[in-house]
Amino acid sequence: MTNLSTELAAAPLRADWRNMLPRRSPKLVVGAGIIATMTLWAVAGPAVVGDPEAIRDIGLTAPSTAHLLGTTQTGQDVLAQLAYATRGSLYIGILVGVMATLLSVLFGIVGSYVGGLVDEAFSLLSNVFLVIPGLPLVIVISAFVPVQARGSWTIAAVLAVTGWAGSARVLRAQTLSLRSRDYVLASRVAGERPWRVVAVEILPNLLPVLATQFVFAIIAAILSEAGLSFLGLGAANSATLGTMLSYAQNGFALQRGAWWWFVPPGVIIALVGCGLALINFSIDEIINPRLRDIPRRRTADQPRPARPVTRTDDDAVLTVQGLSVTYRTTQPVHAVRDVTLTLHRGEILGLAGESGCGKTTLAYAINRLHRPPAEITAGTVTFHDRGGEDVDVLALDPRELRAFRWSQLAMVFQGAMNALNPVLTVRAQLADVLTTHRPGLSRRERHRRCGEALSLVGVDPRRLNAYPHELSGGMRQRVMIAMALLLEPQIVILDEPTTALDVLVQRGILRELLRLRDRLRFAVLFITHDLPLLLEVADRVAIMRDGSIVEDAPSDQIIARPRHPYTRQLLGSFPSLTGERGDFLRSPEPEPAPPGGAR
Amino acid sequence: MRYYLRKLAFYLVALWAAVTLNFLIPRMLPGNPVDILMAKLQQRGGSPDPATRRAYELLLGTDTHESLVHQYLGYLGNMATGEFGISVSDFPTPVSTVIATSLPWTMALVGLATLISVLVGTVLGVVAGWRRGGWLDSLVPATTVLAAVPYFWLALLLVAVFGAALGWFPLLGGYDVTLNPGWDGPFLRSALYYGVLPATTIVISSAGGWLLGTRNMMVSVAAEDYVLTARAKGLRNSRIMIFYAARNAVLPTVAGFAISLGFVVAGSIVTEQVFAYPGIGSKLLQAVQSNDYALMQGIFLIITVTVLGANLLVDLLYGLVDPRIRTSG
Repeated sequence: MTNLSTELAAAPLRADWRNMLPRRSPKLVVGAGIIATMTLWAVAGPAVVGDPEAIRDIGLTAPSTAHLLGTTQTGQDVLAQLAYATRGSLYIGILVGVMATLLSVLFGIVGSYVGGLVDEAFSLLSNVFLVIPGLPLVIVISAFVPVQARGSWTIAAVLAVTGWAGSARVLRAQTLSLRSRDYVLASRVAGERPWRVVAVEILPNLLPVLATQFVFAIIAAILSEAGLSFLGLGAANSATLGTMLSYAQNGFALQRGAWWWFVPPGVIIALVGCGLALINFSIDEIINPRLRDIPRRRTADQPRPARPVTRTDDDAVLTVQGLSVTYRTTQPVHAVRDVTLTLHRGEILGLAGESGCGKTTLAYAINRLHRPPAEITAGTVTFHDRGGEDVDVLALDPRELRAFRWSQLAMVFQGAMNALNPVLTVRAQLADVLTTHRPGLSRRERHRRCGEALSLVGVDPRRLNAYPHELSGGMRQRVMIAMALLLEPQIVILDEPTTALDVLVQRGILRELLRLRDRLRFAVLFITHDLPLLLEVADRVAIMRDGSIVEDAPSDQIIARPRHPYTRQLLGSFPSLTGERGDFLRSPEPEPAPPGGAR
Repeated sequence: MRYYLRKLAFYLVALWAAVTLNFLIPRMLPGNPVDILMAKLQQRGGSPDPATRRAYELLLGTDTHESLVHQYLGYLGNMATGEFGISVSDFPTPVSTVIATSLPWTMALVGLATLISVLVGTVLGVVAGWRRGGWLDSLVPATTVLAAVPYFWLALLLVAVFGAALGWFPLLGGYDVTLNPGWDGPFLRSALYYGVLPATTIVISSAGGWLLGTRNMMVSVAAEDYVLTARAKGLRNSRIMIFYAARNAVLPTVAGFAISLGFVVAGSIVTEQVFAYPGIGSKLLQAVQSNDYALMQGIFLIITVTVLGANLLVDLLYGLVDPRIRTSG
């Protein structure tokens, strides 16, 4: 995916309350429902049920109308105990949640905002606390504190002190990325006081992260407290779900078949934990929009029935007819509308248009690389093989589609940075093309051909052993081109291949490509927003706007006699060499960017 | 190389912090543990010789006029030589012997259970995240219930169902006590058999966390450009899932191992208590219940050292799975 979505995934761009609210989803509804019920039970329950301490001579009776959840060993009402215990557990949980969050804000946000030695020291401290196992430490501390001094607050403080480090680390990472954002820098330059920058510019953006950490701290605290109480190290004279379980265990509840005494407290803990975790799911979706549920539909891998294909032109290698692509979101976005294009053998066809006009969506759809919610709603894509066979690309079954990809049609993507897998060597990424498409080759033969492909694009074959991060941006893009030519495909689609590179490197790579095209005779579909560059290299140029092709003509004709007003506008927006400045171009009504990034 | 040196330095600092914490806690909190220990020792008929008293004093602090720095240095010396004093709850065994006999049980139990849990959780997470919206993925929210169940509660239920009611597994213990402990077939088989329920408890409670983390990373990674490239290359779906998506998605899981291990260790202490497992967790609680402070301190230290060691190991292995670490640091 493209840069836009990565940016969204990192953090919301700027605090916007609507973006901060969780989206209504079944998970959120169930989670919030559980928590609301539990909170109500903890707050109002004790007022409704009877005295939890009252001892009766009906020890261990099964649930009945008088005692809905039966009685304990000493005849106490389990339901009444449960109400008080839920209150006690939630109380400790929230107490620890607040304290741990405050600590993590101090060590995570403040530290990383101040920077320098303070940050180093705070970060070291959190990391040390993170690797020292918490519960053994809590047990040791609790064991030294005399029973009479072990109140709820003491236990909560001990749990908070041993539990803040993880979220401090998360907050630190988030703050560091926010700190260098433009608007934060701007307010620092404007002379805002540091506490104000933290409170106004940074904290609101961290709210979703803070919220998940807070919720997580509550879950961890309730569980830890239950464990401690079960071991007899909990707060003195407190009634929590953990102490209840401890009494049940010491009264041999399970051995004597008194499940009604032992099971409910555990179920309540599990329900609270589950409810909070479900709420956290929804908050996570705010932080990382990629996690949002997408409606499940027919995937692009599934073929549609074959249609009769017509060969419009004997010299064509690819025909696109009436192709439409729609993003099936709540407000459908028609990213590609009724596009018809013909790519001829050995030709360079340029596709130009401003960002978000649907160029990339079109390119992906040709190879069926589009992903839900994008869907091809109409049209055909036909590949005319050198051997004379016509292939209906949209009707290929998954196996045929895989075989078609790369061997007939290869792609070079924009963003030289992310198109290569960071954990595999260049050799492995080139070789797996051959392992897949040319299974007969020997290992040595594969490696020889990978080396040759690199030499072809002017990269030293010794770089086969390099990892992508060890290569410069230009070199990575050359590797991508080498990979694209490995199987000598008949079509290569270049999607903004040189956008992220500096001009000199750009020129070098393009010259190389043109030379290779002359030698290997593949056809190129060249997509870019850089119209002057396109006019220089392309045989023909198609101008795209709002998903439609508005003009399709030979390059010299576009330069000399542009027919469509938008083409003229595009041409006019670039500064010419004669010194006139171009106009700033923007469509009157910018099309909403399709979800999932600029395609 | 710099990466490894930095990691090593960090763990040395963490170790020092843990050792120092261990020194400070008994001194900062109220009570006089040394006297309690000496009194207990006498009750058990032990003659409190000066060397034992000295070991206790260095470990737990005392009212003598010795300076804190002096005590600290003596304490560090004793820690380095494993001189923790004598356990009063296991009288007259030295603390170091108690630890040496119980630690292997815990390491085997927690180690194996964690390994299984990481494997199961990661594999399921990879598949759920890759087949997003599929049946496995729709079960993911349900795993939060498992993660929210207290270890000891689950352990007790497992014992009640599979131990007491069905009789498939023993109720408690680490091995058949009629056998002599040793590296022979029958004993190992019995240890494995006794370990099934405790290990199952740990796996059920912890696998959900691994699953969820991996699943979310898979969803994020599936949107990366290199996965798109892999699809455009016509690679087989399974190959893209493993070598392109999963290979990158597990990196944060490995990096976040430290946090997860803390939870597992916490859970296993409580689990051991339920099963009366002959491991270090049971010993720690035995020490707490009988005010055996020396044993308690020794065990805390050894647990911390083991966890630090495990984390160091994982950090070193991380260099193997992420090439970017190896060169830059």
